[in-house]
Amino acid sequence: MATTAPNNETAQNFLQGEGMQTLLKFLKDNGTLVALVVLMLIFSFWDESFFTPRNLTNLARQTTIVGIIAVGMTLVIIINGIDLSVGSIVGLAAIVVTMLMQAGVNPWVAIMITLFLTGVLIGIWNGFWIAHYNIPPFIITLGMMTIARGVALTLSDGGSVPVTDPIFAEIGGGFLSITISMIVVLVILGFVFFSQFRELKQKQQYGVAVRRQDVITTTVVTLLAGGLTLYAFTYRGIPYPVVIFAIIAFVGTFVLQNTKFGRRIYAMGGNEEAARLSGINIYRMKIGIYCIITSLSALAGIILASRLNGASPNLGNMFELDAISAVIIGGTSFSGGVGTIIGTVIGAFIISVLNNGMSLLEVPTFYQLIIKGLIIILAVWFDVLSKKKHG
Amino acid sequence: MGEIVLEMKNIVKDFPGVRALDQVNFQARAGEVLALMGENGAGKSTLMKVLSGVWPYPTYEGDIYLRGELKRFYSTKDAEASGVAIIYQELNLIPELTVAENIFLDRQITNTLGVINWSKLFAETQRLLDELHIEDFRPTDKVRDLTVGKQQMVEIAKALSKKADVLVFDEPTSALTDKEVEALFEIIRKLKRQGVCMSYISHKMEELQQIADRVVVLRDGRTIGEVTPMAEITLDQLISRMVGRDVKDMFPKGKCQRGEKILEVRNFEIDNPALPGQKKIKNASFCAYQGEILGISGLMGSGRTELVSGIFGAPPGPARGEIYLNNQPVHFRSPRDAIKKGIGLVTEDRKRIGLILGQSIIQNMMISSLETVTNLMGVINEAKERSLGQNYVNQLAIKTPGLDVKIDTLSGGNQQKVILAKWLNTKPKVLILDEPTRGIDVGAKVEIYNLLNRLVEEGVTVIIISSELPEVMGISDRILVMCEGEIVAELTRNEATKELIMAYATGSRRKGG
Repeated sequence: MATTAPNNETAQNFLQGEGMQTLLKFLKDNGTLVALVVLMLIFSFWDESFFTPRNLTNLARQTTIVGIIAVGMTLVIIINGIDLSVGSIVGLAAIVVTMLMQAGVNPWVAIMITLFLTGVLIGIWNGFWIAHYNIPPFIITLGMMTIARGVALTLSDGGSVPVTDPIFAEIGGGFLSITISMIVVLVILGFVFFSQFRELKQKQQYGVAVRRQDVITTTVVTLLAGGLTLYAFTYRGIPYPVVIFAIIAFVGTFVLQNTKFGRRIYAMGGNEEAARLSGINIYRMKIGIYCIITSLSALAGIILASRLNGASPNLGNMFELDAISAVIIGGTSFSGGVGTIIGTVIGAFIISVLNNGMSLLEVPTFYQLIIKGLIIILAVWFDVLSKKKHG
Repeated sequence: MGEIVLEMKNIVKDFPGVRALDQVNFQARAGEVLALMGENGAGKSTLMKVLSGVWPYPTYEGDIYLRGELKRFYSTKDAEASGVAIIYQELNLIPELTVAENIFLDRQITNTLGVINWSKLFAETQRLLDELHIEDFRPTDKVRDLTVGKQQMVEIAKALSKKADVLVFDEPTSALTDKEVEALFEIIRKLKRQGVCMSYISHKMEELQQIADRVVVLRDGRTIGEVTPMAEITLDQLISRMVGRDVKDMFPKGKCQRGEKILEVRNFEIDNPALPGQKKIKNASFCAYQGEILGISGLMGSGRTELVSGIFGAPPGPARGEIYLNNQPVHFRSPRDAIKKGIGLVTEDRKRIGLILGQSIIQNMMISSLETVTNLMGVINEAKERSLGQNYVNQLAIKTPGLDVKIDTLSGGNQQKVILAKWLNTKPKVLILDEPTRGIDVGAKVEIYNLLNRLVEEGVTVIIISSELPEVMGISDRILVMCEGEIVAELTRNEATKELIMAYATGSRRKGG
C-alpha cells in the first residue's frame, strides 16, 4: 500500500511513524523518569508551595537517607539478594554514634567507630551466614532486623539521646554556600556533557549506531535536571546530605559500570553458577556487598541523627521497604542481573516526591500508604510488560 | 505372543535445523518388554515424548495406533487417558507428600465437599501396592524418606493406578542399586504376565538381556533394521546397528607431536552426595600431554562431566585424589583456583551454567579474565576491552552485529565461540571442553575443531568430552572411555573403533578385556 501512495503522504506517514516510535522508545526506556516529571508537574499545579526552592531543597534532603540505603540495596538486589535489616541499622547507628559522643568521644572518631561496628561488622555477620551456609538472605537479614532494633533499644534503654555537638549537627543540617553550590552544579553539568560527548565519539569509533533522537533527549534531560537543581538550591545552597548522597550515587554508578567488581556483581546476578565457574569468588563478593549495604545504612543513620539533633532507637522504622521500593521502581529486576544506580536514584525521588506532595496536599497518612503500595505494584507491572514485549 | 498394542508409523519430528525423528516405525505387543536402544541423541527420548503427548499432535508427522485405533494426543493428559505412561529418569514425585498422595496426586479420593477421605485413599493405595507385591514401604510413608529405587516403584504404581497398559521406562536403573534393580525387574516380569506392553530405554546390555523380549535400534532418528527378538541378536550386531558404519571425514586433524606431560590425575574419587557410600567417580587416573587432544567418551551418566568438574575445582560431591600440573601437586578448592593455575572448562550445559544470559557479548567474554583489561584499581579500560573483544570476534569469526548485543540473540554456534573466547582470554594451559559442539550446526562444528587444532599447535593441552563417537574419534589423539564412574579403557587413535568404544562404554567389555 505504501508503494502506491503519493510521495508526500508516505513521507508524512514515515515521519509520524518515526516520531511515534521515538516517543514510545523514550517512554519505555525512561518510564520512571517520565513518571517523576509527571508527578512533579501534578503537584506543582495542585499546590503552589510544591515548586519552591525551599520545598525542593527539603525534598532533596528528605530523599538522601533512603536514597543512600537504596544505592546499597541496588547492589544487593542485583545479586538476587535482599537486606531487611537496613532500617534497624539506621536506628542502631544513630543510637551508637550519639551515645559515643555523649560519652565524650570526638564526633569524627565516633562516626568511624559507628561505621565499623554497625556497618562493617554487621555486614560481615550477615554476609557470612548467607555465603557460608547458603541461608536465604531474607531470613538472615530478617533476624538481624530484630536483633539490631533490640540492641538499639537496649543501649538507649528505650529513650532518645540528644546531640549537643554543633559540628556533628552540621553534617545533616548544613549547606554548601550558594556560590559554591552554583559552581559545583555547573562543573557537574559540564562534566556530564563532556563525558557524553566522549561516549558519543567512542561509539562512533566502534561503529555503534547513534540515533540523533537519543542524543537530543539526553541533552534535554541533562539541561532540565541542571536547571532544576540550580533553581532548587537558590534557597540556601546544597544541603550536605545531598552532597554525600550525590557522591555515593556517583561512586556507585562508576563502580557498577566501570570496574571489575561491578562486572562481577552483574555476572553473579545474571547466573550465579556460571559466575562461579568463571572464577568469581562468590563467597567474598557476597560478604563484601552485604558489608557495603550495612555500612551505607549506618551512614544514613548517622546523617539522620545529625539532622534530627538526636537519636531515638525507633529511627529508620520501615526504611527497608522504602529502599526496596526505590530500587524496584528504578527498574532493578527482582530476578537479578539487571539494574542501575541512576534508576534507583530516580525511584528514591519518586517516593519522596509522593511523600512530600501528598503531605502538602494533606492526604491522610493512611491513604498515602495505599497509594505508595499501588505505585510499587504499577512499577513492577510495567517492568514485566516491557520485558514481555522484548520477547 | 500377545496382540499388537502399540504401533508407531512413519513418525517424523523436526526441530529447527535438525530432523530428530525420520520415518520411525515399530510395533509393541501385549505382555512384552521392547527394548529401545541407540546412542545419545539418536532420538529415543524424542520418540517417547511424541508417544506421551509431550510433543502434541500437530508438531510431528505420522500415526500412532493403540490397539489398532488411530490416536492423536494433544497433551500428556490425552496420552494418559489412553493408557500411556512414562517413568522418567528424573522422578516427578513431590518429596514432602506421602506415597498415597503422590499416587493419587491429581485425583485425590474426596467426598462431595472436596475433603480428602484419608482412610479410603490409604486403603486404595495399599491395594495397589499389594497387587505389585510391594512390601518395602507403606502408603503413609513420605516419599522423601524412600530410596530412589522405591520412589521409582511409587512412579510405577502411580502409572498403573491410572490403568496404564503401555508403560515406557526411560533408563530406569541409572540411579538404582543392584538390589533395587532386581526388585524392579521382578515387578516388570509380573506386569508382563498381566499383559502390560512395556518399552524400555537403556544402554546397559546386561540388563536388556535379562529383561527385554525384543529390541529395536534407533540411529540418527531412524529405526535401524527390524524389531528383533533379543535371543536372536548378538551384542556385536546390536552395537554395529547403533553406531553405523560410515565415518564421514569432517574432522581436520593437525599434525602435532606429543610433548611434555602437563596434567596428571591420580586416584581421583568423588562421592555421590545423594547416595551415601556410593561414588560418582571411582579411582580415576590419567595423564594429558602438551600437543595432544585427549578425548573422553562414554554414555550419558557415566561420570564424564563429574570427572572434569572435579578436576576444575567444582565437584558435585566430596572429592579426593591427587592432581599434578607440570609435575607440581595442585589443590583446587574452587574454579577460581583452577583458572589461576591455567585450567579452563567449557561447560556442557551452555544455557544453564555457561552463559550469563541477558548480558552482552563483551561482558560474557571478559568475565573470567577481567584482570587483562583493568588497571590496579580494578577500573576497566573500555578501549582495551573492546579492542580485545573485537579481536576475538574477528579471529573466531563470531557472527554478531556488535559487542553490546545480548548473548541470547546469537545462534548456538556463535554463543559457543563467545565462551571459547572467554576461556582463550584466560590463557589456559589446559582447556577442557564438555560436549562443546552439542546443538551446533555442522559449519560451526568444523570451525571449532580447527580452533582446537590450532590451540594444540600453540601448546595448549585440550581435553574434550563428546557423546558423538565420530567426533571424539575424529579429533582425539587418545581416548578415555568411561562407564559407571570408572575409566574403563584408554585407546589410541589407531586402536579406537566405534564398536570397541561402545563395547567399553556399555560395560559389555571390561577393563583389560
